Amino acid sequence: MKKTITIILLTIIAATLVIMTSIPTTMAPADSNPAIVLSPNIPGDATFGPLPPNPTNEQKLLAIQGDFDIYSWNTFIALNWPPGLDGNGDPTRKIGQNGDNDTVWEHYRDVADVFLPGGATPSWNGPVSVPTQCKASYKPGMRILSQVGKTPTVLTDFSQPFNTGPLIDQNGNYTRYEILVNKPMFDYILANKLYSKAGQQAFKGEVQFPCGGPNGPEGAIMVKSSWKVISPADRARFHTQTVLVYSPASQNPKYPASCSTKLMGLVGLHIGHKTDSGAQWLWSTFEHVDNAPSEADIGSNNTLKPKTYNYYNPKCSTANCPPNKVPPRPWNPTKVSAFHSQVVRMNMFKGNEFAFQSAAARNADALQLLLGVNSKSVWRNYELISTMWPTNTGKCQAAPGDPLGTPAPNFLANTTLETYIQGMVPNVSSNCIECHNNATMTNARASDFTYILQRAQ
Amino acid sequence: MTTNPSTPSESTLQAFADMSAALTGFQSSFIRPFLDPVNLSGTFYSFAVSQVGQPRMDALLNTFNNLSNQTPKLTPQQIADTLLETALDAPSLQAQLCQSIVAMWYLGSWYTPGVLGGNGFAPPALQVITSQAYTKSLVWNLAQSHPMGFSPFTFGYWSQEPASLQTFGVDTSNGGGQ
Repeated sequence: MKKTITIILLTIIAATLVIMTSIPTTMAPADSNPAIVLSPNIPGDATFGPLPPNPTNEQKLLAIQGDFDIYSWNTFIALNWPPGLDGNGDPTRKIGQNGDNDTVWEHYRDVADVFLPGGATPSWNGPVSVPTQCKASYKPGMRILSQVGKTPTVLTDFSQPFNTGPLIDQNGNYTRYEILVNKPMFDYILANKLYSKAGQQAFKGEVQFPCGGPNGPEGAIMVKSSWKVISPADRARFHTQTVLVYSPASQNPKYPASCSTKLMGLVGLHIGHKTDSGAQWLWSTFEHVDNAPSEADIGSNNTLKPKTYNYYNPKCSTANCPPNKVPPRPWNPTKVSAFHSQVVRMNMFKGNEFAFQSAAARNADALQLLLGVNSKSVWRNYELISTMWPTNTGKCQAAPGDPLGTPAPNFLANTTLETYIQGMVPNVSSNCIECHNNATMTNARASDFTYILQRAQ
Repeated sequence: MTTNPSTPSESTLQAFADMSAALTGFQSSFIRPFLDPVNLSGTFYSFAVSQVGQPRMDALLNTFNNLSNQTPKLTPQQIADTLLETALDAPSLQAQLCQSIVAMWYLGSWYTPGVLGGNGFAPPALQVITSQAYTKSLVWNLAQSHPMGFSPFTFGYWSQEPASLQTFGVDTSNGGGQ
């Protein structure tokens, strides 16, 4: 008996050593094989299972990408969990048990309420900034969507990254965006007075948001969401919110500020999370399954099946509706547009097929779990596109000489957030880590992979 | 000459990476990292084979393996000198292939082995192999810098001393990179 126990113990130790020496030291080995779980607990970082014996480069990447994609789904599930009174996921309820639900991340702080006029000090539970035009319709707890672009600066409110243009759905409505930060990220901004230009000017040292760890802490999380106007009949397919949609006044084209109440459906969700294994942050991107067909779908005539896309018309020819074309100016989000974006998901994983393969497998696993809660859960209609992670990084800090950490996959885009920069051209096509590495504060000093500090006044 | 190379084995790719490391003066773990989503060594191997044919590449790797297994062990510099035939005035076809491999790693471009341009300089490159072959080519690391239009560094990096050559992947052991 004693001999058997000794053999078992030695086997476990040997197996652990194999795991420890097989994955990079910045990657925390999992206690058991990582898996997608229905849990309100936000993972502080990914954890990693063992690699297959004598793996090829592709097999190693597939295995570790799988662990990161499991982390992404666990984060998605926890962030979209129904919150309790304290804002954290309520363990007595389940995601999607009633079809749709309020979510944890929607109680994070909108960056519009972090970077206040005059550089005023924000608070986590402070009042929401309500534009004058929205005040008559505003009810406590209501959300206000004002961005018509992913990048939250005045100059680019109308467009996606690099001022490439707005996204207009098949009904002619402009897609709306918002960016929110979790409490650890908010607290770091507050403690270092990075919410104001003066505070940023006085700040010494490097901006370093807190990293999450596999067993805590949570680390800094930034959530970017995209929303389209939907009809009540479509409610069952989307996570929805009735919100105030605000359009600031514009001079070119000229229109006044306006605000209206709309039923909006979630179409895209980016989650940026700074962790021990992701000093360059981990970037998980999810989309609604009806957003757009892929190049492969079109090539195989898969778009001909009865289906309505949010951003693609299968009946319009390529000549009449060229894909991924920036809407012609003038851009006026207060009116229904005659131009409808014809969006196609480009293949950005050539040479990185492990990313596609891993996401497909994890999406299937997650779907089963979500359907197990409720076959009508709206969350069944969301899919992971991929997770971008650094392959070469120190624990919570970049490796010297490789500040980008050689991301995998090489490129990643969300069709609702980076519609016009999909592709595989370095420094031009969407790569979360490369792009966010250029982010600075208002004084041009690096801001640790977030552009939101540029909003400081 | 072009051929369609079959998928190389892990041991072949590792041998190509180890040989490339010796030829370029970079660390093998940098040339072919443990996790390699860019996979330049695989791209470069396949491209070189498509240009010179499998038999020439196999012969070169055999030579390299023989040199690597010698006793006493040769240094990377000795292996590189032998492969490049630096002591000879007229390098063989195999040494010319090594020259092209060095240029491929440093410049991300393919120069046909043995074809000289004016005044002994290399002729214009046949082609830049891929966009990442350009942005990841070793010349930028050796200069502790970055290609035009693609910087991995944060704004204002030029006001700080660059990281050491070793962190840029250069093999600084035995006086390398000095």
